[in-house]
Amino acid sequence: MRKFDPDRPWDLTTLPTTMAPKGSKPHAPTDDRCFLGAGDVPAAPKLQEAVATIKNWFRASSLNVLAFGTGCGAIELRPLSTSRFDMSRFGISGAPSPRQANVFIISGYLSTKTLKRVIRSYEQMPNPKWVVALGSCTINGGMYWDSYNTIKVLDLYMPVDVYITGCMPRPEALIAGFDYLMQDIKKGEANGWHHYLENLEWYRDNQKKVITDWDLPNYSW
Amino acid sequence: MFDFNHSNLDENGNPGAEIVSRIHDRFGNFPVHVQKPDLIRLNVPQTDIIPLLSWLRTETPFVQLTHLTAIDWLEEDEFELVYLITAPSLCISLMVCIRVNREKAEAESVFNLWLQAETYEQELHEMFGIHFPGSPRQGVPFILEGWQDMPPMRRDFDTVEYCNRTHPERPGREHHDSRIYVGRKFGEKGYLK
Repeated sequence: MRKFDPDRPWDLTTLPTTMAPKGSKPHAPTDDRCFLGAGDVPAAPKLQEAVATIKNWFRASSLNVLAFGTGCGAIELRPLSTSRFDMSRFGISGAPSPRQANVFIISGYLSTKTLKRVIRSYEQMPNPKWVVALGSCTINGGMYWDSYNTIKVLDLYMPVDVYITGCMPRPEALIAGFDYLMQDIKKGEANGWHHYLENLEWYRDNQKKVITDWDLPNYSW
Repeated sequence: MFDFNHSNLDENGNPGAEIVSRIHDRFGNFPVHVQKPDLIRLNVPQTDIIPLLSWLRTETPFVQLTHLTAIDWLEEDEFELVYLITAPSLCISLMVCIRVNREKAEAESVFNLWLQAETYEQELHEMFGIHFPGSPRQGVPFILEGWQDMPPMRRDFDTVEYCNRTHPERPGREHHDSRIYVGRKFGEKGYLK
């Protein structure tokens, strides 16, 4: 990477791409700085801020939801994606593969067996990525609070950016949740994925407590 | 093959009378309970189950194993295995029930009569801890992964205790009755309205 040249401020290749609006954590490491903590190269702050804002605006406007229904809440995603509540009005679309998705909707209760698949899928999604937790089961166990094979508190195992309460939340509630998520992304505050990478050991410990036949790698992609 | 058809009704109009009298002639007087006109329950000693099911499978219209499940009679220290055998041509089902000891839970496999019994027996082994010698996939994990406790469908398995031990509550949660929270916020009247 070249050093920032004040005479050529339009040259975006000199910008550190981890820059985000004031007070927020760095976003989306790209190019040659794919790893955490690398590349805090000082450059024209106002321009960086402007570029980061534009990037976050783009990110908020193109959310790709992973096609992964964990519980009964997945039934709400059908009316949301089809003509009545049409989520593509907001720039939200579906993605069949975790490699092409950046939003993970945990739709309802999560059994420990599914949790393992969810973690695997979540870690394969490219950064930045966000998690929307749908329904009361993800918050405190909901009606499955005394079940032997469903987890109660989702954010012990994954970072959650938006919680949507209800049992079941209607598609309107989901749209409202997405609205919050978009505002957070634009402000640069939806940094759950970053929190996950920074506190990976803590998350791994919690995950291993419930997934007794652990066979996932200890690193994250 | 016997000639079973709907014209063989008893005095109450139940089509199952024919098969019950055949079974009584052949295997002895088992207790019979007609739960519905098309659902007959038979309580069979454990030793008679394989001859009875083989005979039903090969020589009568009762050719289909619809379900195989277990009931935990904790107080009597026994498991009850229920084989639901259906005659598709007559639309009648037989519930053939046997009792097995709860401590040494073991029953003969019917895998040789119905291949699909393999899956049922695998599940019963996992959920109730009933062993079926000779059945394939015994002890292979089916639904539970990495389960280290006692089989969870046994009635002496304390689900709430296990759940509290394994899955922690969210801090601040006092009770599981939503009526308390709603009542606190809106008043009990507001909840009942």
